[in-house]
Amino acid sequence: MAATLNQSGPPDSDSSSLNDQSVSSRTSNRSLRIAEKERKKTEADDPVVTALKYFSDVEAGTPLYGNDEFENNLVVVERVAYSKGLSPEAISVMLEFAMSLRMGTSPCVRVLKCLIPASVVPQEAVVRAWVWLGVGKIPTSTQVLFIKWVLTIFDMIDAKDQLRAIYGFIFSFVTDENLVCVVIHLLTLVISLRVFRVRKLLELQSKLGRQSFLLHLLSLYKVFCPELVTLCIPSRMRSGFKNHNNPWKSALIGVQKRNGSQVGPSNGLVFTIKDKTVSRKRKQCHLELPVLRSVVNKQDQTESSSSRKVVPLVQIHSFAELLENMHRIELPAQMGSLLGSSLALQYLDCVQDESALLRLNFWLGYALHEEFLFCGDGGASQNTEDSQHFLNKLLFTQHFLQEGFFSSEAFLYKFLGVWDGSLLRPQILDLLSNIPVVPSIQIGQLLFEPLMQLFFTSSLFFKCGLMECLNNMLLKWLTWHSVYALEDDLDISLNSHTSINMTLSGFKDSVMELVHFVGRLASVGLQLEGCHSLFLSFVLDFYETVCDTFLKYGLPLVVTPPPGVFYPALLATDPVSVDRLAYIMYRYKVNLVSAKSQEKVTEQAFHISRQTFREFNHYMVVLVNCLWNSKMFHPGMDIQLGEELLLKSNVPQPWTSFDLIHHPAFMSYAVDFHQRCWPGRKDMDLNSIKHSKPWSWYLEYLYSQGYDGLKQIVPSNISWQLTAGDRQGNSLSAQQR
Amino acid sequence: MFKIVSGFVRYNTTIRMERQHSSVVRTPLDSVKVQRRSKSRSYRQSYRSCLGAASRLGSTPAFTARRLNTSRKAPKLHNITEKVNAEQLALLMKSEWKLSYVTPLYQFRHTQLKSYSRQLSAFIAAEKQQGLAVEVEGSQNSFRVSFSAVQGMAGTDDDAETVLIQIHSKSIFARQDEHQRLIWSGWLTCINGNPDYLRSLPKDFICLPLFGSSGSEVLTSSVQSWFQQNFDCCFGPLEISHTSLQWLVALWTNCHTESNIQHLKMIWSIPVVPPLQITYTVNPQDAWDLWNSVRKSPQEEKETEEEEGRSIDIEEVMQFMQGLKSHFYRHFRLDLSAGSLKQVSTALGSAKYNGRIKISNSKYMITTLTLLTEGALLKMPI
Repeated sequence: MAATLNQSGPPDSDSSSLNDQSVSSRTSNRSLRIAEKERKKTEADDPVVTALKYFSDVEAGTPLYGNDEFENNLVVVERVAYSKGLSPEAISVMLEFAMSLRMGTSPCVRVLKCLIPASVVPQEAVVRAWVWLGVGKIPTSTQVLFIKWVLTIFDMIDAKDQLRAIYGFIFSFVTDENLVCVVIHLLTLVISLRVFRVRKLLELQSKLGRQSFLLHLLSLYKVFCPELVTLCIPSRMRSGFKNHNNPWKSALIGVQKRNGSQVGPSNGLVFTIKDKTVSRKRKQCHLELPVLRSVVNKQDQTESSSSRKVVPLVQIHSFAELLENMHRIELPAQMGSLLGSSLALQYLDCVQDESALLRLNFWLGYALHEEFLFCGDGGASQNTEDSQHFLNKLLFTQHFLQEGFFSSEAFLYKFLGVWDGSLLRPQILDLLSNIPVVPSIQIGQLLFEPLMQLFFTSSLFFKCGLMECLNNMLLKWLTWHSVYALEDDLDISLNSHTSINMTLSGFKDSVMELVHFVGRLASVGLQLEGCHSLFLSFVLDFYETVCDTFLKYGLPLVVTPPPGVFYPALLATDPVSVDRLAYIMYRYKVNLVSAKSQEKVTEQAFHISRQTFREFNHYMVVLVNCLWNSKMFHPGMDIQLGEELLLKSNVPQPWTSFDLIHHPAFMSYAVDFHQRCWPGRKDMDLNSIKHSKPWSWYLEYLYSQGYDGLKQIVPSNISWQLTAGDRQGNSLSAQQR
Repeated sequence: MFKIVSGFVRYNTTIRMERQHSSVVRTPLDSVKVQRRSKSRSYRQSYRSCLGAASRLGSTPAFTARRLNTSRKAPKLHNITEKVNAEQLALLMKSEWKLSYVTPLYQFRHTQLKSYSRQLSAFIAAEKQQGLAVEVEGSQNSFRVSFSAVQGMAGTDDDAETVLIQIHSKSIFARQDEHQRLIWSGWLTCINGNPDYLRSLPKDFICLPLFGSSGSEVLTSSVQSWFQQNFDCCFGPLEISHTSLQWLVALWTNCHTESNIQHLKMIWSIPVVPPLQITYTVNPQDAWDLWNSVRKSPQEEKETEEEEGRSIDIEEVMQFMQGLKSHFYRHFRLDLSAGSLKQVSTALGSAKYNGRIKISNSKYMITTLTLLTEGALLKMPI
């Protein structure tokens, strides 16, 4: 409707004050429109204007044959119609001319066929035409053509209130056998309901039998008045009314394309009864979404809501309507149907009614349980496609609402115990990552035990997937926290729908449990998989989330990684992992420094334990000693090897073997750098990079390769005062507190 | 089939063993079937343990502790005949019921039963003739549906009133006075439902978790989908679990002194290839003697508590079953614990694993329905 506003004013208001220069000074709207058009064009000699003037003024009974003036004018109008479309005024004039049969019935069809609107069709013109229809001189075929035309341009009619007002009048045409099909289709568009009409249609049905157009009107009645009619739509009904041999469609599309207009021709109402695509018959249908229907038994609601009119959700077809009726929408008969339409999901986001959500959860929990837990005939494996489709829909909904359903949560706790880890893995893991914060007392039993079993008995691929899932879970928990945390009482309500209230310390405990759990999984997982770099990468993803909990999410909690994660990353054979570890350590440092300073300033209740600082400092010392200072295997480090063993290994200078030059991850860079630095040299001596000048060049070279993690660690933490050849690195110090 | 007259005096046991498939060659299909069956059982078992886990989530009201009770009252002679309409009661005992569980009904009103009758009959008519609209108020339907409340059939005040649904067919050719034929019947009930669970539901919900139906499957599914569409509930099949069947064995045996059970017949299935089905029939007096011997407290004590009816403990049930099993083992060297109980029948009624039950004696109906209600509530998704 918005598109109409700039094209022409509303039909009634435009006539009042617009133009005093309107020459024709007629009082009827019709000529005023022409006048307005004239004014717009400011071209008195426009052939269209003259043509229209001819059609509006032509006397009744003017002969048609041999009338060149008529022929010429009609050609002008047709040309305009097929190229640009007709303006609302022109439509009015031409429709009036055709339906009034001023020049007999023969031009009527021709005129109707060229009524291609450019923008909108004035409602009043359509209503007037209906009146002419009632006069009854028009041949039936032409009547059908007219109604088809109305159907085609229905969406372009500028207002529909008057059309609705003459609903009964339109309905009376149902009796005519030749018209019944099109009229009924029109009625489905201009809906207005009386009891006797249902009766009439049912009578008609008994006369005509099963007709899809009848069924559509009846099904529409069912939407509006479910208590009046009961109907079971066959699963393979042709959808909607086909506007057969429609003479306007292609021309209309052409015109609209040229005009860049967006108002489309009506293809009939989008029925809520969709063709079911299910071709094979499924024994269990619990995964099918219910159809959106309005509530039938409303009797008991009347006392509460008699004053305000409710609008069933089924009757809402656009977002604008949704917004308009937001306050008085009636929920559908089956809450599960909300998952089926995107519009309904928008509304579901605002639903606060506890019973409604409970209904939804009952349905969802039922479907999940029946499909995955109670399946007696091992059905889960047979219809994975359906299950996948269903779970994807559920996931889409949960992502849309940014919230998990508690029935799917309860289901997951049960399902984890029987899951083989491969059935619908992506979907199940995705669902799992949506579960809200679990209180720390229960988290072990509900989540960790089943997950641990699955983790240790399944493939690398599953391990990576689970790691990603747990990372997502943590991210969601932290995001909830940052959104819902209330500064004042440090109390957060995690989920507006369930009444779980959690204290900050409770939340911290849960997060800590999760991080520790993942730490254990990662440590053992890395060992089991021989420090697989893919798995390591997922583990480091997780710690990238963990190291930033304070600064990014405002949660005063810092948990350092266990040695089982730190060392495999430090000694990894790929440089990316080492670099990411350096970055993570850098972020830890930033977080810790900021927490410390905040603690000093605000003296808030939280504090980060000494132990955490100690652990962090220790890791930092190891990192720097290993990569920069060539002090591997020195006493006081976690990794120690006996002197004899080191001697036996015949590795020269074993303490240097994990510095940035000899580290397996960076060795190739060192060689490359050596070749670039001293292209002429035959014998390679990597130790020569250690000299202060080439060393700083070498570091620059590494940074230039994109190892920013290393770069961030170095300037902030290490003051580099290495004298040439001093491999003890006398005054290196990690300057953390 | 062979009869064993055991030297052991106490039990006079008839045992029938039959191989379901006489052929020795196993097709792969059959072996798959066997595996599936066992898989489904493991699902169910773990389901229960997981539910136990979930129930520890004390913070959410939705996770209430729900398991089969480990102890229940001994079946008492209920004077149900005094409270419940005899006609309705006769109907309940007439047929074997196929059980389903139902999630709580939203906006169900016991005051609206008349209007529900009209709607459901129109609905069924519409389902019958796909694609033809049916007027709700019309009287031309060939089905007459009647909803009625069964007064007095409830365990406690928390239980919603039982609803009985009957569908009669109206033949066009039948004369006015001719009796309409009952073609389908069903009921929804809740007997001694877990009060914590029932009270945790909002007022808009009516919990009638146990649904029994008898009649054509087509009508059953029509009725179910009408309920689904109108009260936003879901129906799922309800099996009578191994444990529930064992409970029934004990509960029915316990009634023997008051009302002769005539026989105690159990059908076991043993997961071997080929599948083995064992029918194990016990003389009622022997069964009762065994039962009496495993009862914890001696006879005298029972008399003092007779007013309230002594409660039966799951351990007693297990001991009783163990007694029956070990007797069988002594004779056939076959341990029934490896298999599962599939069917139990006595003169009081019969119950099958696949969720079919027949209650032949109204006096013990409440006890049986209490057990089944528990089973249905156990299946609730939340």
